[in-house]
Amino acid sequence: MILERLGKELLYFDGGTGTLLQEKGMKPGELPETWNLTHTEEMVDIHRQYFEAGSDIVLTNTFGANALKFHDTEYELQDIVAAAVVNVKEGAWMGVHDGREVYTALDIGPTGKLLKPMGDLSFEDAYEAFKEVAQYGEEAGADLIHIETMSDTYEVKAAVLAAKENTSLPVFATMIFDGKGKLLTGGDVPSVVALLEGLRVDALGINCGMGPQEMFPVLEEILKYATVPVIVKPNAGLPKQKDGNVYYDVNPEDFAEIMQKITELGAAAVGGCCGTTPGHIRALIKRTESSRDILRRKKKAEDYTIVSSYGKAVVFGEEPRIIGERINPTGKKKFKQALKEHDIDYILREGISQQDAGAHILDVNVGLPDIDEPALMKEIVTELQSVTSLPLQIDTVDVNALEAAMRIYNGKPMVNSVNGKQEAMDAVFPLIQKYGGVVVGLTLDENGIPDTPEGRADIAGKIIKEAEKYGIPKKDIVIDVLTMTISSEPKGARTTLEALRLVKERYGVCTVLGVSNISFGLPYRPAVNSNFYTMAMQAGLSAGIINPLSEDMMRSYYSFCALMNYDKNCERYIEQYAGQSNMAPAVKDAKITLKSAIEKGLKEEAHHAAAALLAGKKPLEIINEEMIPALDTVGKGFEKGSVFLPQLLMSADAAKIAFAVLKEALERSGDAEQKKEKIVLATVKGDIHDIGKNIVKVLLENYGFDVIDLGKDVEPEVIVETVLQEDVKLVGLSALMTTTVVSMEETIKQLRKKKTGCKVMVGGAVLNQEYADMIGADFYGKDAMQSVYYAQQILKENQDNGISDTKKL
Amino acid sequence: MDSREKEAGRYLGYGKHAIDEKTWSLVKNCFQELDRTVKSRIVYRIFELETPDEGRVKIGGLNITSRNLAKNMKGCEKGVILGATLGIEADMLMRRYSLTDMSKAVVLQACGAAMLEEFLDSWQKEYAEEAKKEGYYLRPRFSPGYGDFDISCQESILRMLDSAKKIGLTMTDGYMLTPTKSVTAVIGMSREHVPCHKKGCEECAKTDCIYRR
Repeated sequence: MILERLGKELLYFDGGTGTLLQEKGMKPGELPETWNLTHTEEMVDIHRQYFEAGSDIVLTNTFGANALKFHDTEYELQDIVAAAVVNVKEGAWMGVHDGREVYTALDIGPTGKLLKPMGDLSFEDAYEAFKEVAQYGEEAGADLIHIETMSDTYEVKAAVLAAKENTSLPVFATMIFDGKGKLLTGGDVPSVVALLEGLRVDALGINCGMGPQEMFPVLEEILKYATVPVIVKPNAGLPKQKDGNVYYDVNPEDFAEIMQKITELGAAAVGGCCGTTPGHIRALIKRTESSRDILRRKKKAEDYTIVSSYGKAVVFGEEPRIIGERINPTGKKKFKQALKEHDIDYILREGISQQDAGAHILDVNVGLPDIDEPALMKEIVTELQSVTSLPLQIDTVDVNALEAAMRIYNGKPMVNSVNGKQEAMDAVFPLIQKYGGVVVGLTLDENGIPDTPEGRADIAGKIIKEAEKYGIPKKDIVIDVLTMTISSEPKGARTTLEALRLVKERYGVCTVLGVSNISFGLPYRPAVNSNFYTMAMQAGLSAGIINPLSEDMMRSYYSFCALMNYDKNCERYIEQYAGQSNMAPAVKDAKITLKSAIEKGLKEEAHHAAAALLAGKKPLEIINEEMIPALDTVGKGFEKGSVFLPQLLMSADAAKIAFAVLKEALERSGDAEQKKEKIVLATVKGDIHDIGKNIVKVLLENYGFDVIDLGKDVEPEVIVETVLQEDVKLVGLSALMTTTVVSMEETIKQLRKKKTGCKVMVGGAVLNQEYADMIGADFYGKDAMQSVYYAQQILKENQDNGISDTKKL
Repeated sequence: MDSREKEAGRYLGYGKHAIDEKTWSLVKNCFQELDRTVKSRIVYRIFELETPDEGRVKIGGLNITSRNLAKNMKGCEKGVILGATLGIEADMLMRRYSLTDMSKAVVLQACGAAMLEEFLDSWQKEYAEEAKKEGYYLRPRFSPGYGDFDISCQESILRMLDSAKKIGLTMTDGYMLTPTKSVTAVIGMSREHVPCHKKGCEECAKTDCIYRR
């Protein structure tokens, strides 16, 4: 069994096959995988050469054999994979002369597609493609699955899950890094290691991209974080080009010399990638086989608590981290409303503003009664990950929602939470075991919350011990000793702080704490919160769950980091507060009118002007007398060519801010907001460029329309369904290219069939009036303003009624 | 104002008009943010090229039917195929500002395009020097989607470059490049120096385009 040897003795992979295939006559553009069936003898011979050179593990010729990449009408994928496995085994039979145990590794490479939301391949489709290959490989008798040359954490997660859930084979995964230790999709080394170890791969590492010499910095970082055995498979140097051909020129001896150093650093399995040959492997083995026993050499990696997103890892350490608490409906009317109305943008903006304010991790809680929490959690996690690179803390009591989110999460998430109740541990730990994650352990159990520090530490111990049964290491547990309100529990703060110290001392684990609960029921809460926050950090708190938009909390944070020398030369403190004392309260420019603020696109001024106007006018009067005329002026200027798109949008953003002020006033006064006409907007199926649609959206919202934004790459069926469900009378569709106008046409066709009286307006780079007529649209908007005018024309009657209704109030 | 700022202004539809103060400072700010966040990457290969007739180009085993391209490549015996991208970080920035600041999202879009063009221009200038040493002159870049050069050629081009692995450049089922701020192109290499100033806009038949140079 390979797992019995892995990490104890140095294991040898094979090297590259591309060059060898070319030597045997494979033409450029030919699919190498078909050679398993068409050139069996040649394939077997290549494998034989590697076994003869001494390789223990030889990869099947199946790098591109997945349904998404392999489009060959002549051969079935299953036959290719089966033949590939047999070819390696045949090669072993012919090439192993010393009776040693060798292994056939099913090679799985990337799909060559970018996953959603940045590309158009869904996580589930990627998973299915990998699953198919993995199953064929196991059926054919592969001994392990080797996923390699991955440059996207999300894709490798799909591949590892597919391999682990559908086969019982060991799973290895290696990624391709650049010289700076980054994946092409931006991921850094700790984020990759955290993700793969969380998914419980048996070995991880690096292949391709560089020669052995260039790999040292990345390798050193991998070895620093990885606790599982590390694989290294470099190219024979950096690629060079001559006469259109790519070649590599590090010779076997030089390759072996550097590889020896790599094994001395602590690599557990080594081989080669592009440009390496049986000669390279033979030389490598000759140099290193006398010291194959690596058990003594292997340094134990330190225990790092790491959470990650697609691009960024947050490593917990002495310096405290900030977990933003604002994506949570508890006690927030607007947030609840946003959840109910499915206003995803509102929630995403909460995430972005916290990131801007300095959060390192975002807590995500979307639990409300009568809400499909698994579906919503999944959606929000996906969307958040497309606008922020911060790791997320999935916060839910719904185990289904937790699993749904953990499965599609790109990275290693934080999970909030488990506690000392057996039931909770039975439900949550299997998920951590399967998907990986850092879980918050609350120190409460069946008997409630102990009122002594020792009692809480005992529960922490119980949680850590139970986690061990699942193979979840201590570093993946952070303990929350719970904040108790001091107005009802006089000794609450002292107990919490003491418990913080105690769990850290006893178990050496990281800690989190929801801070603001401390002041519940007291006046002027920020004072108590921020001081307690400082005290908790002083007691060793690893991460506070706080509101990063609260200046008091951030002042505590920056001061603490400066005082403790976590903030070198007080740089961040100075950046935040330089010039602070000199800052006078913002002077409101009384001279500028709301109309002129909007025309000039001045957001702050628009805010103040709107607020000032409210003293003498009703919100609706302000809208009709100041805002609409201003927007019209700008809109006309745009049409004439004296105002340009960025200016038009600056005005739109300023108007939006003024609207928000007026809306609040309307709500306060108890007046019903005027009924808004709904418009559905979507970028059609297959199209991923949505900036045009977003521009139209902002303008339509300015003019008082309720825009239901279905996003980009939207199936015709989804658009039709929404139109029917919401009884919408106007749909706006956008498409960028001729290839996607086809889906536009299809959408219009389906709309006509299912809903009479619904108008369709279209826009996008390749469209013109003629084209729009051809696909049966009602209106072609050559720019964003045209769509506003058309919407007004179509929905005017209704809108007029809406305004007059409100006026009657 | 430097050349890429001017280009960004053109993409924003300013044409020959002066860019207003506020937009200009936004343009500067967006370039700063892009310079900080994104990394331009390129992959290219040189292939044998022939133009058997006025409507076809053969390059490294790829047969392209396109009169425009054939005209552009006339007299070339080699060709560069290239792919370049700003990566997904640029897309993320645009997505993010689409939620919080639409004018910035639009300006970022224009700046991203200008940045990629500038990157390719400077690469091409450098490569032209290299090619000259071997006696070749470069033609202007020509991309799938220009004129009658069919966009579906993206698939073969990406495969020939192994661009997914090399620079993370992929495409959707509808032949759109992902990340979105990406370019593929063919550059002809000829022994003869043909002064050839036509590129991009001037070559395009859409004469009423507001983005025309």
